[in-house]
This record gives sequence, C-alpha cells and structure tokens, in this order.
Amino acid sequence: MGMGSIGLSSLLADDRSLNPLALGKTHFHAKAKRVIHIFANGGPSQVDSFDYKPELTKYHGKEMPGSLLRTERKTGSLMDTSFEFKQRGQSGLWISDLFPKVAEMADDLCVINSMHANVPNHEPSLMLMNTGAERVSLVRPSMGSWVTYGLGTENQNLPGFVSLCPGGVPIVETQNWRSAFLPGAYQGTHVDTKKSTIADLIPNVKNSRLRPDLQRKQVDLIQAMNAADETDDPAMNARIHSLELAYRMQIEASDAFDVSREPESVRELYGKTLHGDQMLIARRLAERGVRFIQVWHGAGQPWDSHEQIEKNHGKLAREADQPIAALLQDLKIRGLLEDTLVIWGGEFGRTPTVELPTPGANSPNTALGRDHNHHGFSMWMAGGGVRGGYQYGKTDDFGFKAIENPVHVHDLHATILHLLGFNHENLTYRYAGRDFRLTDVHGEVKTDLLA
Amino acid sequence: MRSLTLACLLISAFSISVYGESGKETFSAEQIEFFEKEIRPVLVESCLDCHTGAKARIGLELDHRAGWLRGSDYRKIINPENVSDSVILHAVKQTGKHKAPKMPEKGAVLSPAAIENLEKWIAQGLPWPEETDRKRAPKGSKHWSFQSISKIELPEGVGHPIDYFIKKAQKEKGVAMAPKADRRTLYRRLSYGLTGLPPKYDEVQAFVDNPESFDTLWPKTIEKLLESPHYGERWARHWMDIARYADTKGYEAGGKERRFVYSYTYRDWLIRAFNEDLPFDQFLLYQLAADKMVKDWNGPERHHLAAMGFISLSKNGAQELVLDDRVDTTFRGMMGLTVSCARCHDHKFDPVSTKEYYSLFGIFKNSMETRQPTIEDPPNTPEYQAYLAELGKLQKAVEDFWEPHLAEAAKAHPKLAKDKGRLKSMLGRDIRKKAGELQIKVDKFVANKEMEPAKALVVTDRAKPFTQKVYIRGNPSRQGDLAPPQFLKAATPNGEPAVFKEGSGRLEMAHEIASADNPLTARVIVNRVWMWHFGEGIVRTVSDFGTQGEKPDHPELLDWLATWFIDNGWSIKKLHQLILTSDVWQQSSSNPDANQWMLVDSENRLLWKSFRRRLDFEQMRDSILDVAGNLDDQMFGRTEKILEPPFSKRRTIYGFIDRQNLPTVFRHFDFSNPQETTGQRQKTTIPMQALFTLNSPFVMNQAASLSRLSEKSDDRVEVLHRAVFGMEPTAQDRQLAESFINGYASDGEKDRRQNLSGWSYGWGGIDEATGQVSYQPFEFWDAKTKIWRVRKEYPIKDSKLSYLSISKTRQHPGLGPEYCSILRWHAPRKMKVGIDGEVERPAVNLGRSGLKMTVVSSKRGILKAVTLPVSERSLSISVDPFDVEEGEIIYFVTDCDRDTSHDSFTWDPIVYNAANPGDRWKMSVDFAGPETPLTAWEAYAQALLNTNRFLFIQ
Repeated sequence: MGMGSIGLSSLLADDRSLNPLALGKTHFHAKAKRVIHIFANGGPSQVDSFDYKPELTKYHGKEMPGSLLRTERKTGSLMDTSFEFKQRGQSGLWISDLFPKVAEMADDLCVINSMHANVPNHEPSLMLMNTGAERVSLVRPSMGSWVTYGLGTENQNLPGFVSLCPGGVPIVETQNWRSAFLPGAYQGTHVDTKKSTIADLIPNVKNSRLRPDLQRKQVDLIQAMNAADETDDPAMNARIHSLELAYRMQIEASDAFDVSREPESVRELYGKTLHGDQMLIARRLAERGVRFIQVWHGAGQPWDSHEQIEKNHGKLAREADQPIAALLQDLKIRGLLEDTLVIWGGEFGRTPTVELPTPGANSPNTALGRDHNHHGFSMWMAGGGVRGGYQYGKTDDFGFKAIENPVHVHDLHATILHLLGFNHENLTYRYAGRDFRLTDVHGEVKTDLLA
Repeated sequence: MRSLTLACLLISAFSISVYGESGKETFSAEQIEFFEKEIRPVLVESCLDCHTGAKARIGLELDHRAGWLRGSDYRKIINPENVSDSVILHAVKQTGKHKAPKMPEKGAVLSPAAIENLEKWIAQGLPWPEETDRKRAPKGSKHWSFQSISKIELPEGVGHPIDYFIKKAQKEKGVAMAPKADRRTLYRRLSYGLTGLPPKYDEVQAFVDNPESFDTLWPKTIEKLLESPHYGERWARHWMDIARYADTKGYEAGGKERRFVYSYTYRDWLIRAFNEDLPFDQFLLYQLAADKMVKDWNGPERHHLAAMGFISLSKNGAQELVLDDRVDTTFRGMMGLTVSCARCHDHKFDPVSTKEYYSLFGIFKNSMETRQPTIEDPPNTPEYQAYLAELGKLQKAVEDFWEPHLAEAAKAHPKLAKDKGRLKSMLGRDIRKKAGELQIKVDKFVANKEMEPAKALVVTDRAKPFTQKVYIRGNPSRQGDLAPPQFLKAATPNGEPAVFKEGSGRLEMAHEIASADNPLTARVIVNRVWMWHFGEGIVRTVSDFGTQGEKPDHPELLDWLATWFIDNGWSIKKLHQLILTSDVWQQSSSNPDANQWMLVDSENRLLWKSFRRRLDFEQMRDSILDVAGNLDDQMFGRTEKILEPPFSKRRTIYGFIDRQNLPTVFRHFDFSNPQETTGQRQKTTIPMQALFTLNSPFVMNQAASLSRLSEKSDDRVEVLHRAVFGMEPTAQDRQLAESFINGYASDGEKDRRQNLSGWSYGWGGIDEATGQVSYQPFEFWDAKTKIWRVRKEYPIKDSKLSYLSISKTRQHPGLGPEYCSILRWHAPRKMKVGIDGEVERPAVNLGRSGLKMTVVSSKRGILKAVTLPVSERSLSISVDPFDVEEGEIIYFVTDCDRDTSHDSFTWDPIVYNAANPGDRWKMSVDFAGPETPLTAWEAYAQALLNTNRFLFIQ
C-alpha cells in the first residue's frame, strides 16, 4: 500500500453519489442498526407455534362456527394442534413445544399474533413481505435493499445485504432480494449456504491463480499506475478506493463465512448442522457490520405443510429451533441483541382447519395438513428496540383471522423502518416521475411494539 | 439521501369540477369564516380520518374543495340542482336514500345543527379558502415540454450552432470551456462513443500522425466509424435499455419455459436499423406497427416485423400489468411521459387523465400476440428435417393426449364441440396439468435445439376490436366510462385528438408519436442521444419530460436540435456528426479553471469540461476481449451465456439476458434493469466491480491471452501498452513494469503446483528405511465430478493403480504400499503448526482389511502412523504442534492395508497455526482442481486491465 492517492480517495468513501454503500443518515435516532430476518418460507402454522387457541381442542373435528374464510384450497373441520402450549418465561407468553428452545427466550420475544396479508398464495405473499408490493410483475425493491439504501453499510469490505438460502432459491427466486430501480449495490447477495467453499459461496471473491502476496503486488502496481495518472476526478478516485476495498473483501469474506473459526462451544450452541452453521454465519455477518441479513429456511417453500403438519412442521422446527435460540442467546451475550432487530415469520400462516384433498393439487394425498392462511398469522421480533416478553394482537377463537389490533404487512414494514430510525413515508426514491417507498401509500407504525 | 418530495400518489387528486376549475371562485370573508368555524371542525372530527388524500376510501377526498366537486370513484356526492337531495347529505342524515351509506361510519352521528350548516355551506357553492400548501406546478398544457418546438433562428456567422448556444450560456455565467482534448484522447473517446470498442494502436497513431488539418480530418473520421458494423452493436444496446430487452419473460411457475426463443430477432433488427440509419420516425413506426406497414409477410420487407419485439418483449404477469408495461415502455421510452401514473387515478402532475390512459391501454389490449411469422427461410438440411420429425412426435403426444378427453367433453357439451379452447378449459385440473407438462416438453425442445428459422414476435389487431372502459382505481373488475382509442390531448397540437378508426388504432397512434408535430418525440430522442454522448442530458430526467422532471438546461439548444433533427430526415447518424464536430464535445475533461467554475456550476450543466466516465459493462467486457485479441466479430443470431465457462468471446450485446434472475455481475456494473424501461443507467463504484476484474476466471484467461501477444517481442511492455491503451508506455510505466516483473519472478514462479490451495494431490509410497515419500502428482482432473485421478481411464484395468483417486469428500488408495493415495500440504512460511482431522471408512466390516494412515514431514520424517481396523468406522488423527520451515511439505499417506475392497474413505486433515488457530488449512475447504498460477507477465497484463487508464474514458 502506501499510495499517496489512497488517503485522498478514502475521503470519497462518504460520497453516496459515487459510493452507494457509504453510511446514510437516519431521520431520527434509533436503537436497531441491523436486521436479521429469519424467513420460514412456505408459511408456518400459527396455531401450532405462537398462537395459543384452547378452543381448537374443544372444537377439534367440528365445523368451524360461522362461515369459513376463503383460502387457496378447500378446508374442512377444525383440527387441534399436536403440540403442547405452555406459558414461558417471566412474561408467561404461550408458546408450543414446536419451538422448545426458542420458547426459552420468550422474555425477549415480541410476538405479533394478528399479522395479516392480502391473498393466500405464495408468490404474491412473498412479494408483499419482501417488497411491499404483492404483484409479482410489479418491479419494486426489497426491504433489505431499502434498508441498505437508507443506512448504507458499516463494513465496506462485505456486501451490505446478504440473503442466505441453502440449496437454491425460494419461490419467485432472486426477485425476493432484488434492488429493482435502486442501484445494483443494494441488491441482496445470495449465498447458498449448502456450498462449503468460499469460492463457491460468492463468485469472484477468491483468486485461484494468484497467491495473496503476489496479488498484493499486483494491486500495488495498479495503484501506482493510477497515481501516476492522478486526476481530480471523483469517479476515478472512487475506483482507486474501491480497489483497496475489493482486496480486503477477499480476506474478510473468507473469514466471515468460515464458521469453523468459531470455538467448539459456540458451534455446539448452534448445533453444527446446516441450519446451525447458517445461523452462525448470520451472526458473524451481523457482527461484521452487514446491514441486512436474510436467513431462509431453504429453497422452494419448505414450511408449506399441506399434509402431515405434525410430522412436517416437527422436522422443520427441529432443524430451526436450536439455531434460532442460539442466535438470540449468542447475540445477547455479545451485547448485539440491543441493536440487532431479529424478525421471524413466513409469508403467511396456515388454517386452523384441516385441508381437504384436491384432485390434481400439489399433494393429492392431503391428510392432517393445513392450507395457506393470510387472514391471520403470527410473527415475532426480538432485540433492536422492540418490547420483549410481549404479545400483541389477537386472532379469533380458532386462530383463523386477525380481529384485534390487526397488523398488516405494510404496518410491519413501517414499524421495522421506524425501529431503524426512518419515517417510512419519507424514505423515498425518485424514479419514473414519482417518489417510491417501501410502504407505497400504506403502513402505520405500531408503537405498542416498541420498547 | 435524495431530497424528499411528495410522490404523485401521496398528494390528493386535483380534479376538474362541474363548475370549472377549483380555486378560481371567490368567496366572501364571511363565507370563509363560516367554513372555518362551522364546517372544517366537523370534517376533521367526522370525515377526514377516512377521506383524505390518495388513501381516501372509495376515492372520495373531503379534505379539499376539488374532492367535494369530484365525488367518489362511483358518483357525484353533490346535486347542484337540488342540494338537499345530495348523496352526502343523505349519508350524514342516514336516510338510506340513493343507497347512501350511513355516515360517519365510526363515532357519533352529526348533530342536526351540523347537518344544517353543511347544507347551507353546500348551497353557498362550497366556500373554501385558497390553500397555499396545496399549490402545485401548473398542471398541464402550460408546461414547457407540451409546447410546440420553437423555431430558433440562428444569427449569421455564429459558427457551430451547438457551440453558439453553449458558449452564450457560459458567457452569461462567466465560465469558459476547457481546451480541446488532444487527438489521441479524442480518437479513443470517439471510438468508444460510436462503436463501444477501444481503438487499435495503429489507427490512433495514424490519426495522430496525419498531417491533415483536424477540421477536415475529423468529420471523415466520424464517418468512418459510423460505417463500422460495430456502430449498430453499440447503439442498438442503448435502445435495448429503453425497450427493457430480455431473453426471458420473467417468472413462470411450474417449470414452464421462460425463454422468448426469438427475442434476438428484435435485437438484430435494431442493429441493422442503426447501421442503415433508418430514419428515426420510421424506426418508431416499425416498432409499434410493422404488422400494418409490411404488406407482404413473405416478401423482402418481412424482416421489419421483428421490430415489434418492442411491444412483445414484455415482462409477463397479469394481463393488465403486461399491457401497462407496454403503455409505459412506449410513452416513457418514446415521449418521456409517465402516463402509467394515470392507471389508477388522474395523473397527479401531468395532463394525463385516467380516461386518456385507458384510451391508450385499449389500443394495446386490442393488439394480440399471434402466431409468430417466420422471417428467414428454413434450412434445407438433414439435421433440420430430423429436428422437425422429433418435434412432430412431441407435438403429436400433446394432441394424442387431448383427443380422448376432448371427445368425451364434446359428448357432454355438444354445442361446444367445435370450440376446443372452451372444452379444454372445462376439463379437470389434473388433465390440464398433464397436458401442460407435455406442452412444456415441446416448448423446451424448441428452445433448446435452436433450430427454428428466425421468427418475429408480432402483435396484430383483434378481428373485432372492442372499446376499452376505464378501470376504476386500476381494478379490472370495476369498470367505468368508455375510453375510445385516441391520442393524448396534451400532445395533440390543437388539443382535440380524433378517435382512431382503424382496428386497434395502433398505427394511428404510432403516427401521432412519430410526428414532427408531436412536441415531445423529437426533443426526447435528441436529448437521449446527447446524454449518450455527454453522460447527462440537456434535460437530465431523460425519461420524464413531465412537470416532475427537470427543465432543460439549454432550452433553445434543445429546440434547435429537435428542429434540425426533423429537418434532416430524423437521421441519427447526421445528429452524431453534428454533436461530435462541436467544440463542446471535443473539449478536454480537465479544465485549468475547474476550481473556479466548480463554485459557479458544480454539476457541469454549462459544459465547461467533458465528462469522464467508467466503461460500462459492455464496453469493459468487449474491450477486455478485444485488447486480448479474442473478440469474436460474428454479428447477429441467438444469444450465449457470457458469464459461464466456456466464456463466450462474442460481444456482450449477444449475451443472454435472464430477466428474472439476471446474474448479479450485471447489476454490479449498473447494467439496466431488464424488468422495466431504463432511460439512464446508474453510475456507481463498488468493490464487486473490482473483484470481477481482479478475480474472475474470464478476465484471467484474457490476461493470459494478452500476455501471449507480447511473448515473441523484445519489448513486451511496449506491446502490451499499445494493445491495452493504444499508446506507448511512459518511462515511469517501464520502471514500474520492470520492478513488478523482477519482484514477481523471484517470489512467484519457483514453485509451480497443481493449484494455489496449499494442498496437492497424488500417489506413491513411503521408503521404510529412510522415511522418505516418493510422490507422483495426479495428472488427470475430471472437471465434471471434481475428482483427481492418475489418468482418464477409471478404474484402470489390470493395474494396481485401479481406483486411486482423491476428491473433496472421498479418497481411494491403490493396491500395495507403493500405490498409496497422498495429500500434500505446503508450509507457506516458518511457523508452529498442529494437525487435526478425522478418517472415516464407512464400509465397516466389509473387505478384508481397514486402512493404514501415515503423516510424514519432508524435513522431520514420520510424525504419526496409525491403523484403522476393518471393524472400526472412524479414527481421529492429530499431531501436537511442531515447527515447520517455509516450503516444508507434510504428506498424508493412506495405504490400503493389503486389500483395496470397500476402501473408499474420507480424510479431511486440518493444519492449524498453533499461534493463531483461526489461521488454518482444511483440505475439504481448500480443495481445488488445477489452476495454473499466473506468470509474471500474465499478472502484469491483468494489472493493465485493472487500471483507471483502461477503465475510464477521458
């Protein structure tokens, strides 16, 4: 190193017109500095996890009183949960045995039982949850892109927005983390956590034909030639700066994704499984200043248990429970939970009624499963300035529809942006003759959720 | 962050009242006071929670006077003839008359006094104070861009017209242009600007050395580059950003084929259109209505049908959104108007009503995708015949599948027997699903084989066009007034557009757009061409000429250019000549007085210097190929994936554009978003760009080629600099090169291994007496399965080498102690290291023996020797920390222990730095195939490709 121009160019790191990842300014002071969004894609069932409905036991096998709400497929009578609900922690939140370890963290959770979305289909609901616009063909930036646009990143050596998804991509694919009309720098970097080598995780992050010490010489040569051609041009100076960042990113990224550098005790806390390692990567990224980390359960729509909810949800929760609880615990120990907002949930929930077999449907042998349900579902948040050990909103007696203090996905977005220090109506981007925002014309900050 | 202005959706509508335009009435002070005291508080208390602004329920906005006059999305709320019978009064009186809902929905019923006041206030004509905070830009026709293009007369003898306008503006502000750039800089700038490719050294040199005066030589030089076929490849790509070009439709569920298959015919049409300088008005007409302009679809003009890709290469999705995209791409792209804002409500800022939007929407809705006409003769080859036969079989399978089901359905519904479409839609979901799967096979076959002759993606008019209705609030299931096909009022010279008569009205619409009388079209395109030459437009919001866009920095120049362009036959090539011969374009990108002018005009709107710019994605990739001598000149035809090995050598414009999952590398380089029309690309600088040029195998391969160009020369530095920069190296360049090459050679080239991972893979044995390892590297790498082997043949018959191999997760020894599998680790420096790791042989109790593992140091001999018995599954092998020298080798040797059956095993050793356990080498993590390290000259060549000198246009 030691190029004269680098000192000068690093000043340019703050210029957002050249470096879109430079730190942004919030509208007001806020606790949360970053987000880990754990996406149980496919739609986890609320009445089996975070929405306790004793009436469901009573009415098991009976028709639901009143008229059945419309969902994607036909459903029949009410079906009781196979998981036992208990009150947990000091706060006494009702959480089932589906997530026994997450339940131990109850006093940190802010459970919203009254989430609702617009339609009972995966694609639009994923789009709604991720971009605030449910039409798949509407071109809107994702929440992670908005947040990275608003805040920039604290670590220039890593991407600002990372989407971890093992084994491929979810339904609607990379559209879930795209930046649309925002600059490409805000797009989520997809990392397939099933792959094991850093070169496979992020393209071009490693040079396979040049030893690091020789590459350093090469970069020094480039910088010396750049210095010889020195100009006052901000874009050229910005490139000098970004070349250094790129060099460092190679080292930092290799380090950030290598969970084997963690002490054995930490690895065991997370469980040394695919999902454990993935959650540990999330923590390592958060710790290193990545702004928005999305952790998907898997490719496709794993939580979509149209049949055998006990077996299928049971398997999924066994994969996710310990890693999620470990993440919360670990963040807490490190003092990171205070300014990290952790969000858990799917794109919608599931019906309290049993799904009836539909000829030609994806799973024709439907039995003991539940259909999609956007009328009411549960999500939780933790850390980052939310009220812990708190339960908000209610669904009806059976957990079908949000009836008290309903929280629409737009409201959730408005609240998340608020937690990060933004007025959701003012975090806008001018494009095609108008100012766009994550919440479009909707959204209300749910102040009850704030600590 | 950007300045925050209100979005068009966030400000309430401003509608035309039954009485005339709002705000013009004058009310007495008493009336206003009455409103403020008696009415406004009631509204605030009881109405405005739900009826405010764009979020207002049923579109009824009661927070401003115009909202009262407009009424809801469904009806008026005031009856001026009989005020007391107004819907609003029935609502608050809760009479239920006219089906008026009972209001307010929440909270207390209005008091009789409040209702009386309300009635009185309505009868007074809704007195309302002029709201200063609601003031907005004049909507409509007064906005500059809707005025006819002014005819600007140039005074005599002013020289170059562009310079005249710009110098005049500069003089007013007291700034002055930079000196002319030197010939070398100008030639490079010109070459990139017109062809997207760097100039060759010889060309530049010939231009620099040419004794002819610049002023006579320059126009000829421009002409020469405009004649290059590469010109069309550069300028077609500009238009493809506007046309949101992609090779796939977007998201499709259920494994349906996403490729358009024939999208390339549109791109090829564009390249030809630019190269032939098709007049721009014709260029637009063909893209919107070639189906009506080409009379004989089998005749020589049929290639023009491909122009309609402009319409049909839409992103897929719900029908109204597909059509909205077509309206948007057409009007934002061709006229710089955001008419799509009027899809759900009248445009908040520009003079476009919802009804006008649906007039245009209807034109596209009456234009249907039909069978794609063939625009080239099919090949007469046996391969093509074989392809057709195969395709026929697949198509027949679809028909055969339908047949019995259709026959059955026809029996049940004899009246519909001929309507196959209806019958199909009545069949069960599983039947349709199965048929869909068979159809997917056909579609994929066609797309994969790439054998079909070129076809055009046309749309044609419905046989019986219908009249579109307004979709209230954009909702297709709530339809309002008829919206007959006609053009925008604001863009029609007399303000009275006629209803289109012919079919969908598309051709008539196209003529209105491509008209010299259209106030926008010519201005928009000359502004775009200006932006593509200068980096910024005269109007900087290049796709928004509405009231929310910027005003032109040089309005007279813009109008003069637009008029000149029309007068010169809408010729884009002539426009280039005009712009490129100006002093403004030819000035240097450094101005000696920059510090001073920055204070006056920091954004360089007065053009006191040229814009420097980074090569865009296409220029960068094409240039790297070109300077390495590898650019494939082949034009036209189907796309290729350019970021996957084997890396295509064709120009980037021929790369496959996956709309749904565009590889991030494209976006990292600010490539246009293929989901929507893009007027101007972003200009960012982020480390991921540098990672691509530093680390991608593509760039390294090209650097290796580039280095070979200089191999035979005595002066490699000169050869490389000429190739990459089109110029000679400076003395400093030579000195930097020399010290780099020398330093690199002493460090880098002494140890050539299979790869840089720290590990190497091979076989051999241990000399029992000396403890020395004899080692042979594996020579064969199976790139598909990622396995190192002795040679391609596997297993090797009748040989003790037999199954010898190493992959990331599996190893296999050969038979006997000389045929062990061997992993080697190379110490990069002197340090203390320890060893950990586990061996696993899954075939417990299978075979006659287990395995023998030995860890050996090249300096210290055997460190550890263990046996895994056949009855055991796994074993940990660790060695306590010990010192290693730089270059010392640790061998991990596995002997089959007399018998190789079931000897497939895993050994994943970890070598860690005892001083810092985070510093570690794990075989499975580092595992790699052959990667030949770059030689000093290759690394040097790659460095040149990473310099600002190469990556920026001055």
